[in-house]
Amino acid sequence: MSILAFVIIGVMFAAYVLSDGYDLGVAIVTPMVARNDGERAQAMHSIGPFWHANQVWLVAAGGALFALFPQAYASSLSGFYLPFMVVLWLLMYRGIAVSVRDHFANPLWHDFWDAGFVVSSTLLTILFGVALGNLVRGLPVDSHGYFVGSFSLLLNPYALGIGAFSLVALALHGATFSALRLSGPSAKRAQHAAVLLWWMVLVAYIGMSVATWFVRPSPFEHGMWVAVLPVLSIAALVFLWFANAAGEATKAFIASCAFLATLVVEAAIAMFPYIVPALPGSHGLSIYDSTPSAIGLFSALAVTIAGIALITFYTIIVFRRLFAAPVEASEPLSAPRIR
Amino acid sequence: MHIADLDRLQFSFTIMFHYLFPIGTMGLVPFIAWYTYRAATGKDSNAEKAAIFWTKIFAINFAAGVVTGIPMEFQFGTNWAAFSEKAGGVVGQPLAMEGIYAFMLEAVFLGVLLSGRAVGSRLRVTSALLVWFGSWLSGFFIVATDAWMQHPVGYVVDAAGRFQIRSLPTVLLSPWAWWQFSHVMIAALLAGSLILAGVGALYLLSKRDVEFGERFLRTGMIWGLVSCILVVIPTGDLNAAEVTKYQPIKLAAMEGLFTSEAGAPMAIIGMPDSQRRTLIDPIYVPDVLSFLAYGNLRASVKGLSAYKTELWPPVALTYYAYHIMVGLGTIFGAVTAIGVFLLWRRKLFAARWMLWITLLITPFPYIAHEAGWIVTEVGRQPWIIYGLMKTGAAYSSNVAGGETVFTIIGFMGAYFVLGVLCLYLILRLIVIGPNAAVARRLPA
Repeated sequence: MSILAFVIIGVMFAAYVLSDGYDLGVAIVTPMVARNDGERAQAMHSIGPFWHANQVWLVAAGGALFALFPQAYASSLSGFYLPFMVVLWLLMYRGIAVSVRDHFANPLWHDFWDAGFVVSSTLLTILFGVALGNLVRGLPVDSHGYFVGSFSLLLNPYALGIGAFSLVALALHGATFSALRLSGPSAKRAQHAAVLLWWMVLVAYIGMSVATWFVRPSPFEHGMWVAVLPVLSIAALVFLWFANAAGEATKAFIASCAFLATLVVEAAIAMFPYIVPALPGSHGLSIYDSTPSAIGLFSALAVTIAGIALITFYTIIVFRRLFAAPVEASEPLSAPRIR
Repeated sequence: MHIADLDRLQFSFTIMFHYLFPIGTMGLVPFIAWYTYRAATGKDSNAEKAAIFWTKIFAINFAAGVVTGIPMEFQFGTNWAAFSEKAGGVVGQPLAMEGIYAFMLEAVFLGVLLSGRAVGSRLRVTSALLVWFGSWLSGFFIVATDAWMQHPVGYVVDAAGRFQIRSLPTVLLSPWAWWQFSHVMIAALLAGSLILAGVGALYLLSKRDVEFGERFLRTGMIWGLVSCILVVIPTGDLNAAEVTKYQPIKLAAMEGLFTSEAGAPMAIIGMPDSQRRTLIDPIYVPDVLSFLAYGNLRASVKGLSAYKTELWPPVALTYYAYHIMVGLGTIFGAVTAIGVFLLWRRKLFAARWMLWITLLITPFPYIAHEAGWIVTEVGRQPWIIYGLMKTGAAYSSNVAGGETVFTIIGFMGAYFVLGVLCLYLILRLIVIGPNAAVARRLPA
């Protein structure tokens, strides 16, 4: 049951990475893809109807963590108080930038909000990467999962490397989404950007895999089958290369989703069974330490699984309808139109 | 200042600021759904413009509500770790459900309304209805979480002393949750009605967009009166009955009743003095409190002196907040009653004095809402979970006071800028008006 709870939370975080990942990525590649106000507007509008819903996955995953592993929720959020607050403020700034941009007519205001959107998205991606890197590496925590080190420890080379890797990986994700959803010269530029980013992702992936070997010396503690995951990651990357080169934007985007999904699984397996892993040699907080009661677990799982099924059902219907209409460069984000 | 007090300051500041936006979204969304539906029928020529106009105002409220709401969920962990660890097994459930069931629904279908894409009128109407449903459902899960902290039910205490859920339906179907939810939603409808009426009055006073001015004013007045009645009977009354039954100390603080009395009076005005345990310069209506609490003029109501001082909530704040809420509610009732009367006599649209009153009253539902929540949350102190856990034991002891001071300053700065921005954008949309806002498509 505890394993199932771990999987559910992993699925929700994966949904967040895949979905909010592309709108974070679109922001990161905007300077490479969009050259003028109209093109930047087009890039913003391509994620306009979706980013709110994407971000809800973070809220939902946080809520599920609160319900299923309250101790981990309490110790990690309070232990990393200031970094979390910075994340919250960046999320706030990003949300405001994308929401109010079109309410201003003056292009100077557009520059201001677009730059804020790009900067906050970039920093958020790096911060999420650094956090994930530290989770994989293990944290200086006591047996209750409370952080006992200093924050300079969090900015270790491995975590910063994962931060950089997240940046290029989500940038590639965003580039494939832009190539799919934009039209005209910006779509072409996104396709070219994807080529450059692809090489960076490949180098970072191989580099960080080797580095992971050093910080987590026993990669096969859960069995040899784990070795299949890097193969899948590389396969997804190779597929992405060919799809992008052939101009098959949909396939390239799906390949990017698959690549990110394998990364999340790899990270989850590196952490398992810990939810707040400690540095090697000490004990962190494992999923067996803070299990909720059987009834609590059951109702949380039932509610979550039914909820995810429901969300999948209606988002597929709605997003298909929305995707059917292409994004126009001049289309307003916040001005609804009734026909 | 104790660290717990800093955490309380941050939580109360961020939640009170956040709550300003849900008032707008929950209150306006029924009208948006109605205008969207009317527009889709094709028989109502200016419903489309009204729908677009209010959806734009809704969207700003929604965006600000989201970005200020995300910190609320995570602050349980950052600032109230001891509480989260102990109660997460229960309160985490409705909070997770809020994200999964309500917030997602609202976000996806608001995306449809705002997409600017031609999705067909059937999907548009469905989306407006689901945004309504999602936003009220969101309110329900939040109120249900609070209701459990006010009146814990359906839980067990495990071996480690943590609260675990025994039955999710019991938590979600708690009468406390339902009466509080109905009271809050009707109050939101009241706020939305008065916003509608206020904007309508502005247009009539300035002799512009007159067809919309009359429409908004008429709708706002009628629904304002209806919700004014419903907010007292039955929802407010039954909400108070729950308080009387389970939180008698809060009731005594609300009324400023220090000594237990048979035939307790209701204080209309007066200033509570906790030291001398008396109400200064009061105006009383005899026996009314006994009647309201127990349906009997001679019933005995326990005063604050019947309880230990360490179990008292901050009396003055609870008392004033309650009186402000009830006083404002009475004024809203009077104004909407006069408004509906003038509407019936066909004099409302020309009665400039009444239009002025309607315009000036627009911000006050916000104050009534905040005051209501102060009664609820301050009035249950010193408990964070009533009878089970004290607020003073619930904070994150591993977060230094200095860190919290820094984030309080950060939130205050960020929210000041956000508040100015939202006020500017919303007031400007109102100044642009429904006709021009649609003609220009872009609200700029």
